[in-house]
Amino acid sequence: MKNLYLLIKPRFLAFKNQLISSPGGKRGRIFILGGAGVAFCCGMFIVSTRVLIHFQSVEVIGDLVARYLLSMILLTFFSLLIFSHIITAVSNLYLSKDLEFCHSTPVSVEALFFSRSFYTLMDSSWMLLIFGLPLFMAYAYVYRPGAGFYFTLFHLNLAMVIIAAGMGILITMLLVYVFPAQRTKDIIMFIAILMVVALYFLFRFLRPERLANPDSFFSIMEYLSALKTPQSPYLPTQWITETLWDSLTVSGGKSHIFAVTLTWVTALSMVVVNVWVAQAVYIDGFSKSQEAKKRRTVGKKILDMVVRCLKKPFDEDLGAIIAKDFRTFFRDNTQWSQLILLGALVVVYVYNFSVLPLDKSPIQLDFLQNELAFLNMGLAGFVLSAISARFIFTAVSAEGEAYWVISSSPLRLRKYLWGKYVYLSFPMIFLAEVLVVFTNYLLDVTRFMMLLSSITMLFMVLGIVALGIGFGALYANFKYENIAQLSVGFGGVLYMIVSSIFIAIVILLEAGPVYILFMSDASGRTVTDFQWLIIIVSFVMVMVINTLAIFKPMRMGLKALRAYEG
Amino acid sequence: MIKLIGLSKVYKGFHAVNEINIDVMAGVIFGFLGPNGAGKTTTLKMMAGIIKPTSGQIIINGINLAENPSAAKQCVGFIPDRPFLYEKLSGLEFLLLIAGLYRLDHTPLLDRQVSELLELFDLDAWKDELIESYSHGMKQRLVMCASLLHRPKVLIVDEPMVGLDPKAARLVKAIFKKQASNGTTIFMSTHSLGVAQEICNEIAIIQKGQIVAKGTSKTLSRTVGVDDNLEHTFLKLTEDKRFMHEKSLPAH
Repeated sequence: MKNLYLLIKPRFLAFKNQLISSPGGKRGRIFILGGAGVAFCCGMFIVSTRVLIHFQSVEVIGDLVARYLLSMILLTFFSLLIFSHIITAVSNLYLSKDLEFCHSTPVSVEALFFSRSFYTLMDSSWMLLIFGLPLFMAYAYVYRPGAGFYFTLFHLNLAMVIIAAGMGILITMLLVYVFPAQRTKDIIMFIAILMVVALYFLFRFLRPERLANPDSFFSIMEYLSALKTPQSPYLPTQWITETLWDSLTVSGGKSHIFAVTLTWVTALSMVVVNVWVAQAVYIDGFSKSQEAKKRRTVGKKILDMVVRCLKKPFDEDLGAIIAKDFRTFFRDNTQWSQLILLGALVVVYVYNFSVLPLDKSPIQLDFLQNELAFLNMGLAGFVLSAISARFIFTAVSAEGEAYWVISSSPLRLRKYLWGKYVYLSFPMIFLAEVLVVFTNYLLDVTRFMMLLSSITMLFMVLGIVALGIGFGALYANFKYENIAQLSVGFGGVLYMIVSSIFIAIVILLEAGPVYILFMSDASGRTVTDFQWLIIIVSFVMVMVINTLAIFKPMRMGLKALRAYEG
Repeated sequence: MIKLIGLSKVYKGFHAVNEINIDVMAGVIFGFLGPNGAGKTTTLKMMAGIIKPTSGQIIINGINLAENPSAAKQCVGFIPDRPFLYEKLSGLEFLLLIAGLYRLDHTPLLDRQVSELLELFDLDAWKDELIESYSHGMKQRLVMCASLLHRPKVLIVDEPMVGLDPKAARLVKAIFKKQASNGTTIFMSTHSLGVAQEICNEIAIIQKGQIVAKGTSKTLSRTVGVDDNLEHTFLKLTEDKRFMHEKSLPAH
């Protein structure tokens, strides 16, 4: 027990030290991120409350839908928790850098396993707090249950987390026993991405927006009943849903001793089973995970051919960087597999426009088409910002601890940064134009709108990419464990905010001139001199904002990179 | 070949390197010794252009590093203490990346040079393997290959012997001696006093950011009045008297 405490303690000490010894700026970041988290929770609470009140107002079926939603929420959390535990367990139990040291100490396998499982549980369960708390509180706000509900909510969620952790860790131990840990991590990441894409497609192609249409509400209810949540009596979420729902809605609370006991017995059994399995296979799995990583490269010839073509237009030094970046990206399964997500995002984006019920709108069709095309620029801009946060913002940090290779080489940092900007701009411009041109084609917009959208997107993307590179250099972190986490860190969030403001300003500045031109065309009136002045001033301001968005962040990033001292 | 003039680095009021002055001629192997945290790595990183000095100048091959970093870095090969590399590249791809960064044309001559270096450092059989599968010593040897690729006039080396097996360590010593005899200046920080005594023509000892002694191993010993043993000289100069005589070592 003492060993277990000693093994867990460093995590708490590290957290405490980070809070205490963080310089002012870093502490400020923690508070800003904390504030953003609280704001998110509040927003989620408000939206959920509104939805539940709406459900309550629908007679007979309202409560059914709310209960159905609760079971869906719990099932979703449970699945996500299992998956999250699988991913974090691979790192915590097998790949952490301090494990070699821990395994060399005389602590028992059980103590080490327990401590790492505890880390895994802590790392994986926070999302239940952030996403789950506002949802459950919304239920409590709407249904006004007694104090017993909160106690039931707490202990049943705890039991659910323990069951999910137990299942996740158990699956991880068995997978690592069969495959090396690094390979397991790759396989899990790949499956996770495919699952997310499949769920995303499923959700989108079911067109949940039809719920907002009262005419089709009852047909949707039929659809809902057809697509039942797996109501298996063997699912822990089913036991939890029943207990929670009754403590929410039945005054005095119906006794669910059997369901509660079953939940907790399952949770404690999972712990026991995990310890047994750990005693049998954990050390073997850990030993395997220390084996050498993949040696040979796959698809080298194709990659070499593509790299040769890509680096052709650039100087030797920039060409070398491009070749390195390209090879590294496509050899890292956790990186390239995210392109699948990107593909899904684009397909659904375009699909959304293909199912817009334009003909049912009371607004004049051609006006609506062009208005939507205009909004489309903003939407596409936000989508590109999100993609950029993941791939462009992290482009500098992606050098990792090998950044010394760049900083000690004769390559000028200015050239390095602008080089990255130039070659990363191409795929982003291509993506932006595909999004905008294709959706505009589906909307059947005017030629003027098509031209304006294409040109605006071109310049907007140049700004978005520059902001990504610039902020990425400004908040460069070469000592990351997982590069994807950088985009949701302070710098990444700040980049998203600034990028969104930039897009909003460009759209707002163009709105006036577009309206004037469109209305004059529709009414057959000529544009007055004053209106021309407004148009010219607006477009000049757009140019100025774009220029600022390109050069200012790049300059700031360059300055930060020059001052970087690792 | 290397001139450090009044070089200082201050971190939040702490003088990591304090006004050091060093002049190293061409073809010299210069040993830069000092206890942990004395400022060796900081000095080397400043010389490699990785961090900026707070004050002072670094002149390499007559080029001021602050004024013309690209030209100065073109003359330098840097070997850091920890070989962090691009793990998803193969050894050969990493060398070609370095060749690109130093703007070496990809000619058959370069290919031959790469092959020779890989063979010299016993890495030719591993050249197409991903770096992530290399051992620490192999990565260290690969970095050495890379640092010699552009035939630098100055080699800046931080702890070259860490992680190397005896065979590789011997090879590295031989290569350094050969490079120096061809006119390359080697500025090397090390804790291996035996290696420093064996191959360094000149030595400087840094403590708390300041140079406390400079000269050949012999002149340093003579100055501090100990026998010709660099370890004794080092301990005397860094004033760790506990370990001057083995008899005084703490017993367990």
